Amino acid sequence: MNKTLIGFFSALALVSCAESQQKTIELHSEADLAGLRVATTSGTCYDMELSARNDILLDLYNSDGDLLQSLLNNKSDVIVNDEVLYNANVRKENGIKIAMLGEQGFPTGFLFNKSDVVLARTLTAVQQRMEQDGSMQRLKEFWLTDRFTEVTTFPRLTYEATGEPIRVATCTMSAPLSFMVEGEWYGIEIEILRELGKELNRPLDIQLYSAGSGFLSVKTGLADVLGGCIFITPEREQDYQFSAPYHEFHPAYFVKDADAASDNEAFLSGFKKNLRRNLVTEKRWKYITDGLWETLKISIFSILLGSVLGMGLYAMARSRRRGMRTFARIYNGFMAGIPELVLLLIMFYVVFPKTGIPSDMVAIITFALFFASGASDIYKTSLDAVPHGQTEAGLALGFTRTQTFFHIVLPQAVRRGLPLYKGQCVSLLKGTSIVGYIAIRDLTRAGDIIRSRTFDAVVPLMVITIIYFLLVWLFGLLLQLASPKKKVL
Amino acid sequence: MITVSHLSKTFQDPDGSRLTVLKDINCEIQAGEVISLIGPSGTGKSTLLRALNLLDPPTGGSIIFDGEDILAKGYPVHKMRQKMGMVFQSFNLFDHMTVLENVIYAPCKIRKEPLEKAREEGLALLRKVGLAEKANVYPSTLSGGQKQRVAIARCLAMHPEVILFDEPTSALDPTMVGEVLSVIRQLAKEGMTMLIVTHEMKFARDVSTRIFFMYDGYIHEDGTPMQIFENPHRSATKAFVQRIRKEVFEVNGNDFDFLDMESRIRQFCIKYNIAPKTDLAARLCHLMLTEVMDGYIPMTIRITYSELSGEIALDFMVEGLETTPLKAENATLQEVRSLCREVVEEPTSRGFRVKLRIV
Repeated sequence: MNKTLIGFFSALALVSCAESQQKTIELHSEADLAGLRVATTSGTCYDMELSARNDILLDLYNSDGDLLQSLLNNKSDVIVNDEVLYNANVRKENGIKIAMLGEQGFPTGFLFNKSDVVLARTLTAVQQRMEQDGSMQRLKEFWLTDRFTEVTTFPRLTYEATGEPIRVATCTMSAPLSFMVEGEWYGIEIEILRELGKELNRPLDIQLYSAGSGFLSVKTGLADVLGGCIFITPEREQDYQFSAPYHEFHPAYFVKDADAASDNEAFLSGFKKNLRRNLVTEKRWKYITDGLWETLKISIFSILLGSVLGMGLYAMARSRRRGMRTFARIYNGFMAGIPELVLLLIMFYVVFPKTGIPSDMVAIITFALFFASGASDIYKTSLDAVPHGQTEAGLALGFTRTQTFFHIVLPQAVRRGLPLYKGQCVSLLKGTSIVGYIAIRDLTRAGDIIRSRTFDAVVPLMVITIIYFLLVWLFGLLLQLASPKKKVL
Repeated sequence: MITVSHLSKTFQDPDGSRLTVLKDINCEIQAGEVISLIGPSGTGKSTLLRALNLLDPPTGGSIIFDGEDILAKGYPVHKMRQKMGMVFQSFNLFDHMTVLENVIYAPCKIRKEPLEKAREEGLALLRKVGLAEKANVYPSTLSGGQKQRVAIARCLAMHPEVILFDEPTSALDPTMVGEVLSVIRQLAKEGMTMLIVTHEMKFARDVSTRIFFMYDGYIHEDGTPMQIFENPHRSATKAFVQRIRKEVFEVNGNDFDFLDMESRIRQFCIKYNIAPKTDLAARLCHLMLTEVMDGYIPMTIRITYSELSGEIALDFMVEGLETTPLKAENATLQEVRSLCREVVEEPTSRGFRVKLRIV
């Protein structure tokens, strides 16, 4: 089975490696973009500007890694991103180059809740001090030029803090802004925020959000400050508070470099190198194991909680009281009608934002609520399928009602319901792959994090696919073991 | 052993409609008696049985079992049921257990009998019902008759003092009825106290010590098989044991659909295999209505057929009449008399009846 899988992925990798011979695109001004397929990341200022043009074909991607892949796979001719994101190393490795830099620069800073004036002003003051004592200059020289190669050599600011943590949201997982190496955060923005933390005697609690939910997290008070190359625009200033800009970024137009020496490595050794780069370097396998644990934790607890809630729901559906039955029916209808992701976001941003409940608890509760609905249906189907005559026979033999249920009805119901239950568990396990939206680093998110560092789609996706596959298989096996034995006495 | 007094049972549907199935049941059952409950369907035979072991708890009256009031609040019903076994029409074997497990499950779980001992006893019981070789198969592989025999063995495994049989052969293919009945017969011989709801009249007659004829929510007649089958006191009992089939027509005006009545009489005759008499019955009806009893409206006409004696009769009943409605002898009446075996003129509690015995 695994052999077939690897074969499948090898084919995929080959397709993605196949390069068409074409000339390097020349760009001299933004007008030259006309008629080209252009791509950028969604929710950025480039997105807004490019969207206004109707002479180009615009595609939007969710992460810097995906954006780069689109260029490499010839899905787009030009990609637009911050000039520093694909540094010299990345450009050389992938055979791309900067065709030109955008004329307009964008001031970039940190975003705060409108009401949080003090924190924003403190950061502005900290930045001013850094400009004066030259530490900002040193930061920029290291991070914003192509000089850095071994990021972990940078002397990070360390301090002991005893205060409340500053809850930092970042919507970028990319060097050199904010990114993870061996579980530690690095990057220019992180270093600036560390200066703020040191000033206030507060540690940093950094969470990764997607672009849209990053803003939401500041608005709802889930995070104190948002970073990740946030441009300061007049529209944003109406809704949020900004600290002073720390830098002005220019958009860069990246194209494929036809002259670059393409790696003519043998496929297998290339694949091995990719494996090492994606899993071994910077202990990246650890994201996967941590994510696996997170996925397992959320799945198992929500299945347990959901199974119990489902019993209550089943009891309500079978209740004599009309109100109870109506509630159960409406609940099930609601859960059947709402997408899991939508409910997850509602729970995180609307129901629980101020309560301080950690996001993995929110995920467990949300998935348990979904599971309860499915589970109650399964209980109903399988218990109702046991003929009433079985209960009567048990009672007539002299079992009590409880004994009859547990000794006679339940074992038969379990036999009928187990395959359905197993299906429900598996679909929940796979469904948890959306928890990345509320800043939980599960298995799927682990793949995203690795991709954002290596700009490689094949290996991380392949690895997590295999792990999900094995998990599902393992779940099935566990439930098989838990199923009642054929022998009853 | 069991004393039932003024027992009643009313079912209430969720929509509020009520149906009283048992109205006032009184009876005394002694140890060792084999009682068959017979009667038309819908008269409460099964309900009475299910009320006795409280599967459908009665709504009124009292049941004393072994000197204890089993309807008393807090009475341990399951203890009582261990002494009062039940065999169902639809067997209700536990499909997820083997035949032997079905038999010994309750003794092992309820009486905590050691597995080995239970197994031995279970095999002995299966041998008794002729199914020892099927001990380790699952019920789904058995025929209906075999399933019911397993159900009887399962019931016996709890050593009940009395067994309730709820139509034990009604769900069976006719070829399998015999094997089940012979097992019950065997039990009767061994002196087991039993109450049997059955439609097998010959069996009821042979095996029972007593018969309850149930009708309209009461024990309508209670007696030995001899009394009930040979000399029933009450007309409903008689109609039932003689298996009298009937069709009734209410002639309530000149607009009555006589042609329809004629077709229904024909259907009746065909249904009960007396088609050769169809024309005769139709002719007699016609004569009676147009000539002999012309003008008596409203009138009730009934055609009856006793499957036991083979007798076919036509009744013409007029309410509130005290003397015979037949006119003076004439040619038509002569013809009627010659066509049937006997013409009976008799007053009834509500009027007057002319009965034509055809065969």
